[in-house]
Amino acid sequence: MSGTIDAPQDRLGARRRARVRSAALLTAGAALIATAATTAPQQQVGTAAPPASGVIASTPTRDVRIHNGAPPARHTSVPPVAVRIPALDLAAPVDPVGVDAATGQVAIPDDVRRVGWYEHGPGWDSTTGAIVLAGHVDSATQGAGALFGLRRAKVGTVVELTAANGSVRSFRIAAVEQLPKSRLAWQEYFTRDGRLRLTLITCGGPFNPNTRRYRDNIVVTALAD
Amino acid sequence: MLTIPVRRALALTAVAAAATTMTTLAAGSPAYAASSEVYVVHGIPATPVDVYVDGKITLQGFQPGQVAGPLTLPEGTYDIDITKPGEPVSSAILSAQDAAVPGGTNISIVAHLDTDDKPKITPFVNDVSAVPAGKARLVVRHTAAAPAVDVRASGTPVISGLTNPNEAELEVDAGTIDADVVLAGTSTVAIPATELNLAEGSVTVVYAIGSAQAKTLAVVAQVLTGSYTAPEGVDAGDAGLAADRPALGWALAASLGSLLLILGVMKLRAARR
Repeated sequence: MSGTIDAPQDRLGARRRARVRSAALLTAGAALIATAATTAPQQQVGTAAPPASGVIASTPTRDVRIHNGAPPARHTSVPPVAVRIPALDLAAPVDPVGVDAATGQVAIPDDVRRVGWYEHGPGWDSTTGAIVLAGHVDSATQGAGALFGLRRAKVGTVVELTAANGSVRSFRIAAVEQLPKSRLAWQEYFTRDGRLRLTLITCGGPFNPNTRRYRDNIVVTALAD
Repeated sequence: MLTIPVRRALALTAVAAAATTMTTLAAGSPAYAASSEVYVVHGIPATPVDVYVDGKITLQGFQPGQVAGPLTLPEGTYDIDITKPGEPVSSAILSAQDAAVPGGTNISIVAHLDTDDKPKITPFVNDVSAVPAGKARLVVRHTAAAPAVDVRASGTPVISGLTNPNEAELEVDAGTIDADVVLAGTSTVAIPATELNLAEGSVTVVYAIGSAQAKTLAVVAQVLTGSYTAPEGVDAGDAGLAADRPALGWALAASLGSLLLILGVMKLRAARR
């Protein structure tokens, strides 16, 4: 009994497919030329010709990861509940926050004395990626915010992050950056991979009284001690 | 005949040219994306199998409902053979010759039943493009011996008239949904509600597998991570209390300068009198 095979349910457009195909042809061609050139001086004895595609398949391994196909379980990370930078006399409670549907920005707490933890990224218990905290520098109605003093942070300063059970993780500031919002590439600051770090974000730089916006973000990166 | 060094040089030029063209053509995807991530999904009930790729055993005792992978395969074509456990590739129960694996893609190869309860292999390209911050992508694939179906999320149809072997996808707010499958256009439940935790930035692929006739309809899930996107930014102040004030300094200096100038002019005039 032999099965049939359908064309891949490809979402790429026909043009893209054609491009991929021509790219594939070019690569295959190049690979064939390369193979020909590098193997020409050697005597080939009993070696099978490379596949027509010109790409030699790697040997599939037998230790392929197997998943049981069960619906995904809820993954919850431990939320931080407080942040403290003793050297700056800065301390604030922390609330889990997500994305503001209207703006696509981090939905930081309305209460300027509280700091938001980006709940979609790494949590207090994570071992990789960036635990991101974002909080107000100030508010026209509430005055100075929890992260008002963040712009004065210095490299080497200790930042403490507390979990609900009272456990504290200690981080040390490795970078204090003032970056224009208009050109900020956020992806790396919200990474979920790589060395564990704590990223604190607020506003800073020149203030435009007409738009009532700061031009820059202050971004502090602290690495786990 | 060309000498070897010249040949090599030519070959290298060709490779470089091809690489450059690739970069240009495949703008947006990495230039080195010639390999693909390949998963194998087992959607045929009650039939453990071995899976061979190009004649090499890759999965042994692969159970129905399981998902294997990813295998990193260079772009090309592959022969996939599925046998009963321990049987040689020559007595495969299901084969796909020259299955195309395009470069730089994420693919799920599904062994499943067609609408006539016959086994077949269908490859799907997984959409692992960026998922907007706060969202999750849900992909539903009809790979069961069953008629057209609708998929409902918490009772509300979100996908209509899906047939074997097709797929539909949608982006939803990250979180938990209760999804069930009904016969298209009816409220006759084919697969009872399943709780799906759709993690933010993830791609969750759900397969309807099995056979309606044999009452073996079930759900298999596959989760792909890494498609998350950072939020648009952080606006965290509207008072200007912490603003850098270069403008103020300049304004002061300018005022002071004007004052001195005026004073100077006045003194000059006074002196001329």
